[in-house]
Amino acid sequence: MNIYKHEFKMKINSVIIWSLGVALMVFIYLSIFSSIEIDAKLFNEMMSSFPEEFLIAFGMTDIDMSTILGFFGLIFLFIQICLAIQAANYGFSLVSVEETDLTADFLLAKPVGRTKIMTSKLLAALTGLTITNLVLWISSFVFLGMYSDGGQFETKPVVYLLLSVAVFQLFFLTVGMLISLLVKRVRSVTPYSMALVFGLYVLNAFGGMIGEDKLEIISPFKHFEPNYILKHAAYDLPLAWISVAAIVISVVGSYVLYSRRNIRSAV
Amino acid sequence: MNIFFRELKANFKSLLIWGVIVILFNTMGFAKFTAYYENPELIEVLNGMPPAMLAAFNMNAFNLTTISGFFGVMITFFGLLLSISAVMWGSDIISKEERDKTVEFSLTLPVRRSNIVTAKTLAALVNSIALLGITWGITLVSVSKYQPDGDFYNFLTLGMLALFIVQIVFLAVGIFLGCAMKQHKRASSTAVFLLLGTYFLSIISGMSENLEFLKYFSPFKYFDPAMLLHESKIDLTFVWLSVGIIAVSMIGAYVTYSKRDLYI
Repeated sequence: MNIYKHEFKMKINSVIIWSLGVALMVFIYLSIFSSIEIDAKLFNEMMSSFPEEFLIAFGMTDIDMSTILGFFGLIFLFIQICLAIQAANYGFSLVSVEETDLTADFLLAKPVGRTKIMTSKLLAALTGLTITNLVLWISSFVFLGMYSDGGQFETKPVVYLLLSVAVFQLFFLTVGMLISLLVKRVRSVTPYSMALVFGLYVLNAFGGMIGEDKLEIISPFKHFEPNYILKHAAYDLPLAWISVAAIVISVVGSYVLYSRRNIRSAV
Repeated sequence: MNIFFRELKANFKSLLIWGVIVILFNTMGFAKFTAYYENPELIEVLNGMPPAMLAAFNMNAFNLTTISGFFGVMITFFGLLLSISAVMWGSDIISKEERDKTVEFSLTLPVRRSNIVTAKTLAALVNSIALLGITWGITLVSVSKYQPDGDFYNFLTLGMLALFIVQIVFLAVGIFLGCAMKQHKRASSTAVFLLLGTYFLSIISGMSENLEFLKYFSPFKYFDPAMLLHESKIDLTFVWLSVGIIAVSMIGAYVTYSKRDLYI
């Protein structure tokens, strides 16, 4: 419990900054919606005259920018990127930070097992991510209500979309943790998390833009594509299971690796 | 000079990794292109559309059945990759001394702090140029089998020049952050925030004419691939704007680093 409290205290500032950042993003993007609404109607009209195959080729089938939900789907991708970076940062630093800061010998000399250390740390990180998630829920509903016509919008797809966030965060948290345990030494967290998040993002964005490619199915950006979820009010289940499987494998793998890890110490 | 070579050696592995990423991305992208190259169905679709609509959507620039159009799409992603690498190298190269607790050592050497900044900046610059060279080289290799014409090579050269300017902007901003941030851990996270913020801005500014002014705040929007392709020129306003940002960041870096209280 002490470890949990300490970890949480260390994280709280970063959690607050990320949460504010995410809320601010939702606010800014949704507030510009009214100014693009007219253009978007025109855009949709033009799009409807394109042949279907063409739209599929460009990955533009599910986009409808003239409704607030369609627009929300578009911007939600950027929110996902932010959430992914936050989660990946926490994941990569979770246990590796002790080695970088040379505090690992102190921590491991305490009368607690490594499994317990790991669990406390994981729970603390999860709490932080959940707070961000909650802020996202609240700000999404508040600002969607504020900027949609007369405060009316379909809630069901939005709920589905926001529910996916928890799995999405967990994916980056646990995969980050696993990678940090697979490498010998994590000097700085940011390059790792940037590489993981942007690698998967570009993989999906580029794959979506031009036709089919099998590679993007490893990307959670594909598993929880906002436009798909908003349109169908359902998940692309086979793909979503890939994420869940990755999470399970990463958690199990991390526990195994950490309990046998050779810790680099100060002296 | 020693610092310069030391830094080059220390960053070599990172350069290799980025090089592999760029090469992988490039080959993956061009593998997709084979499906589109002079694809009769797609050409038919494009021919069937009124020219006004094509112009409205920039489809002329991004006609994916031609190599130039395809590269016009790719170049945005290259911009993203190269600027991430540049801002990371820039913010890391100065602040890592404090993180790795080697700053006491390097600052007791008989060189001025400004010399250290210069040497490190040059090393990061060489790395960035090397990565751009890799990008350029692999693109030339990938396109060679489609036998592109002279126009494409002009476009490629201009595109690489534009990418280079964007790289240097982010590198300079990164170095400034590395020098100015009191807490070394903040440098790279602030760099990431800036990068994400400007990338998102570039996307919003393309959505509506009312928001076009936002492009001045995002280096990703400084060089429009469509303009590079059709008018074969780089918008000078943005070149000067970039030079301004670079100059201000570098001056800021030297000034703040020479006064900096170091974390030991």
